[in-house]
This record gives sequence, structure tokens and C-alpha cells, in this order.
Amino acid sequence: MASFFSFILAHQGDSADPELLHWIRERLDQIFGLGPWVIVGAMSFIIFCIPMSIIVVYLMQANRRAASEPNQESNSAEAQEQEQLP
Amino acid sequence: MNQSSEPIKKPIYYGWYVCAATLFIGFVIIGARNSFGVFVVPMSEEFGWNRTTISVAAALGVLVNGVAQPFFGQIFDRTGGRKMIITSLIVLGIGTILLSLTFHILFLAFMFGIVISIAQTGPAPSNTAALMSRWFKRRRATAISINSSALSVGGMIMVPFSMFLVEATSWRVAWVALGLIVLTAVPLALVFLRERPEDRGLYPDGDPPPPEGAIGAGRNRSGGPLEVETWKESFKTAPIWQMAGSYFVCGTTTFVMSVHFIPFAIEDRGVTGATAAIIFGYMMFLNIFGALGAGFLSDKIGGTKNWLALAYSIRGIGYLVLLTVDSVLGLWIFATIAGFSWVATPVLTSSLTADVYGTKALGTISGITFMFHQFGGFGSVLMAGLLFDVIGSYTVPFAIVGALLLPAAISAFSIKERKYSSRYQTLVPMPAAGD
Repeated sequence: MASFFSFILAHQGDSADPELLHWIRERLDQIFGLGPWVIVGAMSFIIFCIPMSIIVVYLMQANRRAASEPNQESNSAEAQEQEQLP
Repeated sequence: MNQSSEPIKKPIYYGWYVCAATLFIGFVIIGARNSFGVFVVPMSEEFGWNRTTISVAAALGVLVNGVAQPFFGQIFDRTGGRKMIITSLIVLGIGTILLSLTFHILFLAFMFGIVISIAQTGPAPSNTAALMSRWFKRRRATAISINSSALSVGGMIMVPFSMFLVEATSWRVAWVALGLIVLTAVPLALVFLRERPEDRGLYPDGDPPPPEGAIGAGRNRSGGPLEVETWKESFKTAPIWQMAGSYFVCGTTTFVMSVHFIPFAIEDRGVTGATAAIIFGYMMFLNIFGALGAGFLSDKIGGTKNWLALAYSIRGIGYLVLLTVDSVLGLWIFATIAGFSWVATPVLTSSLTADVYGTKALGTISGITFMFHQFGGFGSVLMAGLLFDVIGSYTVPFAIVGALLLPAAISAFSIKERKYSSRYQTLVPMPAAGD
């Protein structure tokens, strides 16, 4: 019955297994050999990069769109003028 | 003529920003949820709880989360995803921070098992998949698969993050940090989440508007013959039962492995705990590729139900290998095969549900099918545990759940997708993507 309560989640929920968690920590310690604060800092950076990169890409696109809209307007105005010429 | 010399670069379709925002939301909520395991040991040590006591809070959370899905799905259908997801994120963030004040097991059971588990239902994959289904039609499965893979990535990054944070500080500080990370998703949701492409004057996938008077244009452009207004209508038709039935088996075959794979590998196959954990971690890593691959192939080639049936079939083969190859090689083969199919099935089921029943009641329908999935999981874990206590081996319970994959594959394969899916109803060929 204890095993019934010991599970946490289905898909993507398996990292809660203490054996696996212990192994992950050992491997990360072996690979990086850094203190926990350094790893926390590096992972925080990765986590916050995700929303920041979404916002940056969106703003770049918005600027590009804003820059191209006046050109489109002037192009269409020129085209209208040309149509009106005899 | 500078028109021909400068190719016009089309802007990114707004739906991809919605997808990216839900990706980050999924990333943080699964991180907060999966990290619970990290807190088991330090909290147990401080309060003198045994493992079963603290696990009751987690198990309660799974139950509450599963039962709440259809209700949140209905809220999604009625009021929209934006408000629901933002509210849920705020409650989830604050609730996670409040876990740092835990002083009694009942407080933990209430906060994690009820408040947080209910709040996690709002931005759950069934609802974000429903949101993606509104924004995408041709690339629906791809968008859903990106969301689903974010859950795997979130678990892989957030859990070690929590682990090192607990080590560097304390479990109380770590809960506060996790809550704050959840709250960082709120502004992103406020800025990018929109209900449907029409809100921004767009069409699904960023396609241009269909020509006036064209066949298939207008309201019925994306509708299939079984498109429903309410979830009740869907349950009077065969495809939802075929999908829910196979999804039940999906829960059965994944939950049981989540709990019993490592003990099976150690006790029945004689590998060390570390090796078992490596194999299990490898299987979880393959989730990401399985999810993305399933979504991409389903959109690119079509025949979603065939891919779904294939996913169940190869998982069945995996089970067969696991039970017949009595060595560590069998474990590795199983991990490879099962890893690819693990998250592929939710992606394909969500996409196919949207294709057949439309998006009007999709939140509720997805919530109900997800509940089937959870119930299957509960039953299988309980059954495997009880049988192990009686027989002393996992062979019989694994054989039982593995055998269910055959009817699940047949059930998925027999869905009349060409007849019912909206993908096959549009008579006018869709124009090329604008992104």
C-alpha cells in the first residue's frame, strides 16, 4: 500500500523518485564539480532566459513591423499617384 | 524595381508567441509540481514524518488534480483560457510560497494536496492543448507537442534546480523561490495569452482569409461532422470512447512504470539502484523527442490515429521485450522504445480530439479524457503493488498492463479519422503558411 502512495505523477512526474534524484545530484556534482550556489545561479539564468528571449523576439518583430509599415504606406501612396497620372 | 530584389520577410505568426508563453507556463508549473520529491526527505526529517505520511499529501494532490480537470475544462470553454490560467498561476505561485510556512502534515496536505493541485489544473496540458488547438489547425499537433515537451524539459531543469537550492539554502527558502518563479510566468501570460486568432484579426496558423464564396470558407471552414457545442454530445459518439479507452490504457502503462520500474530493475533484473536510475532518466529524456516527433509527423504526414496506434503498439513491444529479455539489455531496449512513446500519446490524443470535436467544448472533453487517464494510472499502480505483495514479482502485473496495449492500439487505429476529422473536411486546399 505504501507503494501506492509513493507515486507522485504520471507523465513527466517521475523525477520525484528519491533514487533518481540522488543519482542526478551525484552526476551533476561529478560533471561540474561546482558548489550548489553556482549551479543554482546558472540554472536561474537559464530559467529566466526563456521568458526574456520570448519578449525580445516579440519586440524585435514589432519594431520591424513598425519600420516596414511607413514604407508600405509610402509605396501605396506612390502607386496611387502613378495610377492617377494620365 | 526593388520589389523583386528584396524578399519580404513575413512576421512570426502570433500563435507561436502564445505557444511560447504556454511553454514557459508548463515549464514552471511542472517544475513546482515535480520538485515535491526533493522536499520529501528534508521535510520528513524536520517534522519526523515517515515516507508514507508525506506521500499521502502527494497522492491526494494527484486525485484532486485528476478530478478537477473536467471542471476547469468547462471553465476554459465558458470563460476562456486567459483569465483562468492567469488566476491559477497567481494562486499556484502564492500557494507554493506559503508551503514554506508548513508546520503540520495537515497544512501540507491542504496546501499541496488541495489548493496547489487545484491551481495546477488551470494551466494543465489539457487546457493549454485546447488553447493551442484554437490557434493552430495545420500545425496543431506540432504546437501541442512543443507544450508537452516543455513539461519534460521543465522536470529535467527545475527538479535539479530545486535540489541544489535546498542544499544551498533550506527547504523553506526553496519553496519561496519556486513560488516566485511561478509568478514570473504571470506577466508573460498577461502580455501574450489571447483566446483565439480572431481576437487579433488573424486566422489559425496565420493563414490568409479564405476567398469570398469559396467552398469551405466562413464558419464551417474548419468544422468536421462531429463538431460539438457541448461535451455531452461528444460522448454520444464512438471516437471519444475509442480515444478515452486507449488513454485509460496509456495512464495504466505509464503510471505503473513511474512507480515500479526502478524496484523491478533492481529486484527482478538485479541491476544496481544507480543503473536503474540511469536507465529511467534516459527514458524520460527520450520523452522530449517522442513528443516533438509525434507532433511533427502527425502534421506533416497526417493520419494522427495511425501514429497513435503505432505509439501504443511500440510501447506494447517494449513491454514484451521487458518481460522476455531477462537482462539489463531488456531494460535498455524497453527504455528506448517506451521513452519515445511516453508523451507521444497525449500529444496525438489531444490533437485528434480537437480535429474531431472542434474547439468549442474541447477543454471539458480533454479534461474528461485526462480523468480517464488518471483513473487508469491509479488502478494500475494499486494492482501492481497488491500483486507484488502476493506473488513477489512484477512479471504478472506488467504482463497484464502490457497486454492492454494491444486493444488500445486497435481502438486508436479503428477511429474513422478520415470521416470525422476536420483535417479531411476542407474542400479548398489551404494556402501556404504565412510564417
